[in-house]
Order: sequence, then structure tokens, then C-alpha cells
Amino acid sequence: MIVAEHLRKTFPGKGKDKTPVIAVDDVGFTAHDGQITGLLGPNGAGKTTTMRMLYTLMTPETGRVLVDGIDVAADPNRVRRSLGVLPDARGVYKRLTARENIAYFGELHGMPANLIAQRTAKLAAALQMEDFLDRVTEGFSQGQRTKTAIARALIHDPKNVILDEPTNGLDVMTTRGLRAFLMELRAEGRCVIFSSHIMQEVAALCDRIVVIAQGKVAAQGTTDELREQAGEANLEDAFVRLIGSEEGLHA
Amino acid sequence: MNNSSFLGCTLIVMRKELRDFARDRRTFLLTLLMAPLLYPLLILGMGKLTQMRADTQLEKTLEISVQGIERAPNLVAFLASRGIDAKAAPADFEARISTQREDVALVIGKDFADDWRAGKPAKVEMVMDSTRRDADVPTGRVRAALEQYGQSVGALRLLARGVNPMVASPVNLGTRDLATPEAKRGLMLSLILPLIMTLFAFIGGSHLAMDTTAGERERQSLEPLLATPASRGALVSGKMAAACIMGIASMLLILLSFKLSAALASGEASALDVSFAAIGKMLVILLPLVLIGTALLTCLAAAAKSMKEAQSHIVWLMMLPMLPAYALMAYPLKDTALWQYAVPFLSQNQLLVKVNRGESPTPEQWAIYLAASLSLAGVLWLIAVWRYRQEKLAISA
Repeated sequence: MIVAEHLRKTFPGKGKDKTPVIAVDDVGFTAHDGQITGLLGPNGAGKTTTMRMLYTLMTPETGRVLVDGIDVAADPNRVRRSLGVLPDARGVYKRLTARENIAYFGELHGMPANLIAQRTAKLAAALQMEDFLDRVTEGFSQGQRTKTAIARALIHDPKNVILDEPTNGLDVMTTRGLRAFLMELRAEGRCVIFSSHIMQEVAALCDRIVVIAQGKVAAQGTTDELREQAGEANLEDAFVRLIGSEEGLHA
Repeated sequence: MNNSSFLGCTLIVMRKELRDFARDRRTFLLTLLMAPLLYPLLILGMGKLTQMRADTQLEKTLEISVQGIERAPNLVAFLASRGIDAKAAPADFEARISTQREDVALVIGKDFADDWRAGKPAKVEMVMDSTRRDADVPTGRVRAALEQYGQSVGALRLLARGVNPMVASPVNLGTRDLATPEAKRGLMLSLILPLIMTLFAFIGGSHLAMDTTAGERERQSLEPLLATPASRGALVSGKMAAACIMGIASMLLILLSFKLSAALASGEASALDVSFAAIGKMLVILLPLVLIGTALLTCLAAAAKSMKEAQSHIVWLMMLPMLPAYALMAYPLKDTALWQYAVPFLSQNQLLVKVNRGESPTPEQWAIYLAASLSLAGVLWLIAVWRYRQEKLAISA
């Protein structure tokens, strides 16, 4: 379970205008185990910054993040062990094979070789990546790279999974496969948070949705609750009202 | 995180970086083999060039232009006996010298014959360009021949007047230059060899050090790496260890090629001390420099926004090892003062020259050198770890 409370993050202003940029302001939500929680918002709304605070890469200026009850600021290393993270940056080592890329992260998590092999086989089957597992990742398609990055993130069997726009740049078939994989993670009782700017995707997958716009939580709840809050019968209209623009509606 | 897993993580990262780098075949071989191959070329090539210059300029008959050649037939005959062929100067001989078509010319004064007969100093002018190093040897030969001629004629004149010529030379000045031509060639080597060794020890591992930090961030794989529970200190240490191993491997190859080329070379180069004891000492001298270079490059690469920015540091970094060498050319220091062994680059330079000459540094010199350079490397390592702990390092875009 991941709890975010009153998160705020600003960045120093660049150029002539020295006023700090407020990236995230008072963002709070709870992501439960066995559920998929979606962060939905247009580009630049603060989703990636919020997630970076969740997965310990950034320290929030105010507020705190609790992962399974542990304060991220107090014991980041323990939190990192129970987190599987697909960051916005998902570069793979292009001179290593997909298997070696995955094994490297397994080793960094302190896993023994046989366990790594076992988990790799399982993830490769679930993500349908067996045919390119032993190829050097140079020249991989976007989908193959993303799958490698996801497998690498989940090699240590984490209870909590954070995925930053996992379907970005993927074709329809790969996206469908990925959705099925996320459903599986949910069925296994994990706490899954993923961000997207595509409404349909979030609506189709998520148990709970957190709508973020301009660094703030515009609304949160199940799809039904959101429809109710916005006072719109149509989900799409509800989102437009909540976000305040039509951006991010196009899949 | 306890110590054993810190070490474990360091080793995991190091192994991965080395494997990754070794698969980049061309960069790998270039990093490892460039200096060792360059080395024999330099030693053998420079020896050969000095030899060629000496052969052609010292022993070949020298042709010079003489203006007013008809006024001093005896001088011309004397020059010919010293291997210097005089020929009538063309009208534009001064222009020919300034355009380097000729090295040196003589002008026999108009009154030469009259002055000569009157026993007055007869004027002979040497025309040359003192800034042309290439003209040094011919000019020297002509000057020496003229002095000899003057002396012998002077002595004859004194004899003709019944005076012992020895009274005219109250001081018998002689120089004994203990440096052989080989030693002079060795002087060149003593300037250049330590420079190349320090340079390659310092930035030999640069590609790996920068690529694993600035490059990794640019390729967007640093953020996921930093999200793992591996401690930042272990990550940066592993990356630095990989760069150090590459640096040490290339150092070993350089020293090996140094040994081989010194064995092949003639003259002073073959007199350089290349016993295994000396090689071992050189390795001890260069190792701290490998650490300093790797740590400094990692710090810079961690602070740089891009690989391009990191690489642009190389220019001034390459200048650093050269500074003491240039300073020593302008202001040679005796290598006895202890403070020199605490100054980076200067200390390596002095120690390498010492070892190359077959001398051994004193224990105090060793102690000061190792303490100063290892603590500098340690401080740079701490800065690199601190950089890796900073939030902004992880964020690539």
C-alpha cells in the first residue's frame, strides 16, 4: 500500500524569471493492495514528479510518502526493496542482452543467480518476450525495450509496482498485452500505480483514478464517483470538466 | 546497508561496466592499445630522427655562399679542408637565408685584403637567422672553422715576430661536456616519457569514467539504476573501479611496451632503467594517478549536463599533466625538496625521471608522495559519492 500525503515540489526558475516553478502542490492519495491506481493528467501536470517522490528519487518539500507503512524519507533503502519502478527514463544497456539487463538489476537487489533465472523465465512468459530475451538490446523496438525495462523493474518480485506511462509509444497489440499483465499483477494482490495521459486506458484498467492537473489533485475516486463529482453522465465529459481542458482525451 | 553487500554491489557494478565496455570492441581496443603502440614509435622514432640530423648535418660537406669570395682565397682553402665548400654568393643570398633555402653565408669585407696585409683585424661577417633551430649545426661548424683559422693565423704571425704564441692565450679554457650525444637524446626522452605516462595514467580511463556517468544518464538508464536499493556509494565506487581497472590494464601494457621498445632502441633509450624493479616502481608511481584521474573525471561527469559537456573537460585536463613539464623546462628544479612530492603531476614527473635514470626515491619521498596522492584520490572519491547522492543527478531531462 502506498500513501502520499500533501506532497509539494518546486523547481528553481530558469532564465530571467527567477520565480520557482511549482511542479506538484498538495498532492495526496492512497493506493491499496490488489488495486490498480491510475494517475491521469495532461502532459506537464506533475505526474512524473509525483511518481519520482513515490519511488524515492526526489524528496518532497512538504508532506510524506508511506510505502507499506514505512516513511520513504526515513528508510529509503528498505522502501526501494519493496518497490518495482518503471521510470520515465527507461534506457536499457544496449550492448547487453535483455536477459543480462534483467539479471544486472536482480543482482543489485541481492538476488542469487538461480532465483534470478527463475523470475526471469516467469516474467518473460508473462510479458511474451521469450523470442528476444537473449538478443542484444541494440536495435530493439520501443515495445521490446519497454518490456525489458518492466521485467527488470519487477525481477525482485516487489509488492508495490509504480509504472510511469508504461504504454507510451507502444502499438495496440503490445498495449493490450501490457494491460493483461497489469491485471495479473493486480490479481496477485500487488499495489499497482500507473500514470497515463490517456483517459480510455485509465478508465479501462483502474480501480481508482487520481486526476492531476497543474500540479494539484483535481479529483479522485472510482469512475462512478468521478462522474458524480463532475455532474456529467459521460465519463469523457467528466474528465474534461475535472481537468479543465480537452487535452489528453485522444488515445 | 552493511559492508559486505556494499562491496558486493561494487563488484556487481564493476563487472557489468567492464563487460559492457569490452563489448564495445573498437573503443575498448583503442583505449587499451593506443598508448602502448604509440610508445615504441616515439622512442624509436625520436632516436632515429636525432640520429639522422646528426648524420646529415655534421658529416656531410657543407655548402655556403660567400660574398667577395675572390678576396680571401686562403680562407676558402682552409674552409674546404674543414669540409665546408665555399661558392660565390648569388645576389639575393640574404633573401635565401630568410626563406631558409640556405642556412648560413659569409661576407668578406671590401678591405679584407688590405687589412689582412696590414695585420689589422680583417672583417668577415656571418649571415644567419639565430631563431632557426635547424641552422644551429651548420652555423656552429662555420663559426668553429673561422675561429680555428683566426687562431692559427694569429699564432703564425706571433711566431713570425719572434713571440711565443702561448703568451697570447693566458688562460687555457677547455670544456668537458660530460653529456654524450646519447645523453642529449636522453634529455629529450626524460622530458617526454614521463609526460606521456602521466597523461595516459591520468585520462587513460576517461572514456569509461565519463560514459558510465554522463553517458549512462544521457541514455536514460541512470534513473532506474538509482531506484534500486544499491547504495549510491557502491554504484559510483563500482563504476570508478571499472575505470581504474581499465586504466591499470593500459598502464601495464604501456610499461610493457616501454620495456620492449627500450630494449629495441639504441643509445640512451637502451640505457633507460627498464628492469622489473624499475617497472614496478613506475607502476606504484602511476597507480595513485589513475585513481585521481578516474575520481576527478567521475566528479566532473556527474556535474555535467551531458556527455558533450563532460567531454569538453578533456582539453584542460590534458593540459594539467603538461604544466609541470613546461614549468620545469622554463625553471628546472632540483628534485630534492620534499614539497615537490606532494604536488600532483610535478611529483609524478620528478619520480618517473628519477626511476628512469636508475635512481631510487628516498623513503620520505615515497611516503609523502603516496600519502598526498592517495588522500587527494580519497577526497575526490568522496565528492563523487556526494554528487551521486544529489537529487538532480538522477533526473535526465
